[in-house]
Amino acid sequence: MEEYKIELTVNDEKLSAAAKPEESLLKFLRRNGFTEVKCGCEKGECGTCTVILNKKTVKSCIVLALQANHKEVWTVKGMEKLELGRKLQESFVNHGAIQCGFCTPGMILTAKDYMDKNPIPDRGEIKKAISGNLCRCTGYKKIVDAIYDVAVENQKS
Amino acid sequence: MNQFKYISPKNKEEALRILKEERMNACIVAGCTNVLPDIKVKKLSPKILVDITDIQELRGVDKKKDKICIGPLTTIVELINSELILKEGKILIQAAEQFADPTVRNNATIGGNLVTASPAADVAVPLLTLDALIKVESARQKREVKLKNFFVGPGKTILNDDEMIVEIEFDQSDINKNGYFIKLGQRKAMAIAIASVAVNLEVRQNKIIRIRVAAGSVAPIPTRLTGVEKFLENKEISNELVEEAVNKVSEEVNPISDIRASEEYRRYISGILFKRAFSQLTDSPIHQLTN
Repeated sequence: MEEYKIELTVNDEKLSAAAKPEESLLKFLRRNGFTEVKCGCEKGECGTCTVILNKKTVKSCIVLALQANHKEVWTVKGMEKLELGRKLQESFVNHGAIQCGFCTPGMILTAKDYMDKNPIPDRGEIKKAISGNLCRCTGYKKIVDAIYDVAVENQKS
Repeated sequence: MNQFKYISPKNKEEALRILKEERMNACIVAGCTNVLPDIKVKKLSPKILVDITDIQELRGVDKKKDKICIGPLTTIVELINSELILKEGKILIQAAEQFADPTVRNNATIGGNLVTASPAADVAVPLLTLDALIKVESARQKREVKLKNFFVGPGKTILNDDEMIVEIEFDQSDINKNGYFIKLGQRKAMAIAIASVAVNLEVRQNKIIRIRVAAGSVAPIPTRLTGVEKFLENKEISNELVEEAVNKVSEEVNPISDIRASEEYRRYISGILFKRAFSQLTDSPIHQLTN
């Protein structure tokens, strides 16, 4: 059985585990207990498996686990450790931007990574930023409202 | 082979040696945006996954004399952020901005899009009108192939199983600075093109000096429409000329009907997309300056 040992940090904590060559980062993370990373289409389209890998968003179903070796991964659970992460989580709750919740992990991480680089986006920019994250429930409006609210707060401070 | 293996070469020579030894058993991977879905549906049988993402010499956008040189590992987002490409081949950025979605653009590579060789390949269409040259290497030899001769069928290129793309090159020229790309999809993002058209154009005093037209998703491969080009070269621009060219585009494309659109619609819309792209260029400042 071909397996390779990798070392990485997930949400600021070290993880050392073996992965098969063809295993996606998504499956690897879930197998190692990070089940907050959701499996949707497994084709790189829906975006629910989005994680942040070395400061950029990736769809973890289309990244090899072995490619995360010596790298830094953040999942939605790690967001509570970060100020912008917490703000986004609260805003999503306040705006009712979570219905079934399945797209939410990907949405929050995409929004967080985008706003790290562009703290005060307009609504059009937000829509483009989350264009790789599909939602079947909300019609997107409340999600955009929630993210935009954080942008407005950023502008005030 | 009945199991996947993984290896991560640190330089180009190591990668080429692996390809020479393993040939069909090796599969070059980088962004993995197509490879992993293919593995999942068992379209890709067990191979040695040769991860070239650590090979720095395959990255980057540079100018060498009057050539713009792009490493195959350059990600789509890196293309978008390249000031050199903005200056010398902006049409490529237009296509890159419509490629998949922002997250996939972080990982997907220009080389990967070409090697996957979808008839809809978004970076291939503008690279055709930039008249790009593909540099290919194996442990045996180096060779160069014009992109217009690179694709041979849906998902198929002229690459031998021990070869890899090492550079993508286009000229620094007036025509390459003046291009427009339009993609029609069922969505504004994350859409495979129903049809796409690229036009690069050099005009002087309302006369077409040089023109290149390419289309995606309307033939087995991304294609230069050389019949349309020959028709338009050296002609005075007029509304009548454009309408005739629209018909010629519809005649020259060779689409099929599939889940995204019918053949008839694709024929029709290719002409319209050409007209829109062409109009954008002939209303552009470059055209006005030379008039």
